Amino acid sequence: MTRFLLRRLALAVPLLLAVATLLFVLVEMAPGGPEMVWMGPGMTAEVQAQIRENLGLDEPVTIRYVRWITSVAQGDLGFSHSRGQPVAAVFGQVLPETLLLTGSALVLAFVIGIGIGVLQAARQNSWVDHGLNLTVLFFYSLPAFWLGILLILVFSYGAQVRWDWPFHMPASGLRSIGYEQMPLAQRFLDRLWHMVLPVTTLVLVLAAGIARYARTGMLEVLRTEYIRSARARGLPRRTVLLRHALPNSLLPLITVLGLYLPVLFSGAVFVETVFAWPGMGKTMVDAVSTRDYPLVLAGSLLFAVLVVLGNLLADALYAVADPRVRHDA
Amino acid sequence: MTGTLRILVAVLPSCLPLVLGACGDGTPPPSRSEAMAAGPFCDAAMTRVNEFLASARAQSPPPTGGEYGGTAVVGGITELLSGMDAFHAVDVNQRQHQQYVNLMTLVQVDEELEMRPWLAESWEVSEDGTELTFRLRDDVFWHDGERTDAYDVAFTYLRATDAGTAYPNAGAFSRYLEGEDGVEVVDSFTVRLRMEPHAEVLEPWRVLAIMPEHLLGDVPAEELADHPFGTRCPVGNGPFVFLSHRQDESWTFEANPAFPDGLGGRPYVDRLVYRVVPEQTTLLTELLAGNVDLFVNLRPDQADVVRESDGAELLVAEARGFTFAAWNMRRPKLADARVRRALTMALDREAVVEALLQGYGTLANTGIPPFHWAFDEARSGLEYDPAGARALLDQAGWVDRNGDGIRENEEGTPLELDVIFNAANQLRRTLAELMQAQLLEVGVDLTLTPLEGQAMRARATNPDSRDFDGLVLEWEHDFRVDETDLLSGDGPFAFPGLQDPEVDRLLAALSGEMDRDVARPLWDRYQTRIIELQPYTYFFFAQKLSGVSDRLEGVEADFRGNWVNVKDWRIAPSDR
Repeated sequence: MTRFLLRRLALAVPLLLAVATLLFVLVEMAPGGPEMVWMGPGMTAEVQAQIRENLGLDEPVTIRYVRWITSVAQGDLGFSHSRGQPVAAVFGQVLPETLLLTGSALVLAFVIGIGIGVLQAARQNSWVDHGLNLTVLFFYSLPAFWLGILLILVFSYGAQVRWDWPFHMPASGLRSIGYEQMPLAQRFLDRLWHMVLPVTTLVLVLAAGIARYARTGMLEVLRTEYIRSARARGLPRRTVLLRHALPNSLLPLITVLGLYLPVLFSGAVFVETVFAWPGMGKTMVDAVSTRDYPLVLAGSLLFAVLVVLGNLLADALYAVADPRVRHDA
Repeated sequence: MTGTLRILVAVLPSCLPLVLGACGDGTPPPSRSEAMAAGPFCDAAMTRVNEFLASARAQSPPPTGGEYGGTAVVGGITELLSGMDAFHAVDVNQRQHQQYVNLMTLVQVDEELEMRPWLAESWEVSEDGTELTFRLRDDVFWHDGERTDAYDVAFTYLRATDAGTAYPNAGAFSRYLEGEDGVEVVDSFTVRLRMEPHAEVLEPWRVLAIMPEHLLGDVPAEELADHPFGTRCPVGNGPFVFLSHRQDESWTFEANPAFPDGLGGRPYVDRLVYRVVPEQTTLLTELLAGNVDLFVNLRPDQADVVRESDGAELLVAEARGFTFAAWNMRRPKLADARVRRALTMALDREAVVEALLQGYGTLANTGIPPFHWAFDEARSGLEYDPAGARALLDQAGWVDRNGDGIRENEEGTPLELDVIFNAANQLRRTLAELMQAQLLEVGVDLTLTPLEGQAMRARATNPDSRDFDGLVLEWEHDFRVDETDLLSGDGPFAFPGLQDPEVDRLLAALSGEMDRDVARPLWDRYQTRIIELQPYTYFFFAQKLSGVSDRLEGVEADFRGNWVNVKDWRIAPSDR
């Protein structure tokens, strides 16, 4: 197992170097440049050239590449010109917010999705199964941004303005105006309250997909002989389901979890935009539109690293969870 | 119990950032802590601002009476990217925060487009038009307690005209004498600038806010854009003091107790917050729910919702931006003015304005905006006339020779035009689609090419490529209208590539003419000539729509911008 992990990590180095090079080339080929952000009356070609010079973009591409890759290797991700601070500081601000949003959503989505999938499998072909199937497919096919706006219209605008409900949810942002003046406990609740709609949006969409995997996995396990044996031994239905079937049915979800790991860090750009949640997704989109090369490159590279690590983690978890899988064999 | 514990163990790690986020904010405002973290510069600057504020509050306690107090929240879809760095302002919201909120310009423009004193209490242009002398107020202080003086103006001018700064609007000073020879500090509150005579010499000083020499004087010009002053710890001298900035979230300012009485004194609201809400539907919801007091830049399709709501009012102001299709005259197909006139005549522009803007716009025939003194309401452009358009195309040699509905020239080349536009702009996308449908009726085939914003700009502005036939775009003039960039030479913004000696002569004369009575007939002739040549099909000046909550009083629809009278906004005690 250790040898397997080390081998995979060693292989990841040239892979990431290739990805980094490809990223640099793609960014270099993209039309436009940071100077275009200021395009407007009175802006001369000389000013455009000066902006590029101030950002070090006037140097030959090879020199810039070597300089960038060397800096990254030394842990220096560069300086974000669109935000006026080091890229690492930008990540330091937005990553916690993204992790808060997507982390909460993923945990809840897995818990709810697995629960639904198990229930559906246990009641296969019943009206519960069919009803949940329809519900899951409905949410699975909804675009997250549309669902987000719908939730805002109902639970924020509708609840507050139209129907005068006793409660309503904040439509956007991380916190209320005057947050700084609140006592600690109220701050905590305020942040929690602002998470409800964006997290719910993500959970509804993500849980629907996870429920599909969970249901299929559970059904396959329920058809196996050891489950039949367990039932024949007279074990209670609940024990068979949760003790014997569930752990093994979760194996395919390890792959899904591995695939979702980059999402955890890259954020959910549409949900972040709809709910004015300043996270990684929105930051990266803004970085692309302002041609903030250091931020785009560092963010993309980070995602690449996470994809590699996510897959590695999934493989390792497989080996841990399933004795039949042994990587060193 | 065990199951519950397992769930808690699973859920709690994801809540950790939330807990840490709330705890980490501690007693001092967190963004101030962030500002401190930006290094010793911000640490020292913000400490002095705190001391200044404490001292100013002690000397000028909050006025009694119900007029003062409350927090006004403005919502916008964009971040104020480079913040209060006046040398690198990106958009109009950011510039207005510099001009009216946190910093000060030397002069402001009034409703009649006449300059009025602001930081400068007076000015004088020498008889030969080569010297401009400003006399500054002596009662304006930077928010760290330093007095704003002539050295700040000289510093601002020198940095703005220093190539290293890369001030995007440096062209506005092109007729000023560059470098140390161009500016002279006569005394602490008098500064003299040298230039060649030209029209509207004050315009650059309306746009560019004065920056603090005592804080930024040692910063090399090339490093100003990356300096933490702009976004981490701006120290202004305007009616509102910077308190905090959370990237992509909000800016918070506090009323400046020491703002001079001669300029209206302390603002009425205690705090002013600019919130970034990138999605317009969400922002509209926040306005209607009363969580945002002012929503700048509503879409036309949102206007009726605001107008019919109970808690908000619609504000409609004239705007400077006009939307057009530029025709690339470098291409042989579009070199003939008859073809370009035909393209405009085949488009029902009035119907387009109505359909796209739902009435919130003015038909454009040239780029002279409706608020400008040279705008002539009676001037008509080319009328919608498809039959006339067909006749013009026939005359120009473009006839449908093979019966496929598309016109060809004698060589058989079809009249197919590639039109590019910003894919993210739904309004321009719809406009391009309407153009495509209407021009097909007269035998012109448009191929629509939506491009990512930067890619579109690069393709449109690179003089070496100009890889397009048509370009749908919006352009916003300063109050001083000068279309040289758009209609003369081959600079980045000379989209059509017009080379017309008369237009060149008129533009040169207009940029140097200081007397409006002399300039007016020149403007008339210029506009007539542009309509004849049709380098652009001008569509509309979209009106600037804003929604303001009933809670916030004193906000006016103003073509100069939303923040023009921010000092006078107020909130009734019952609404605070």
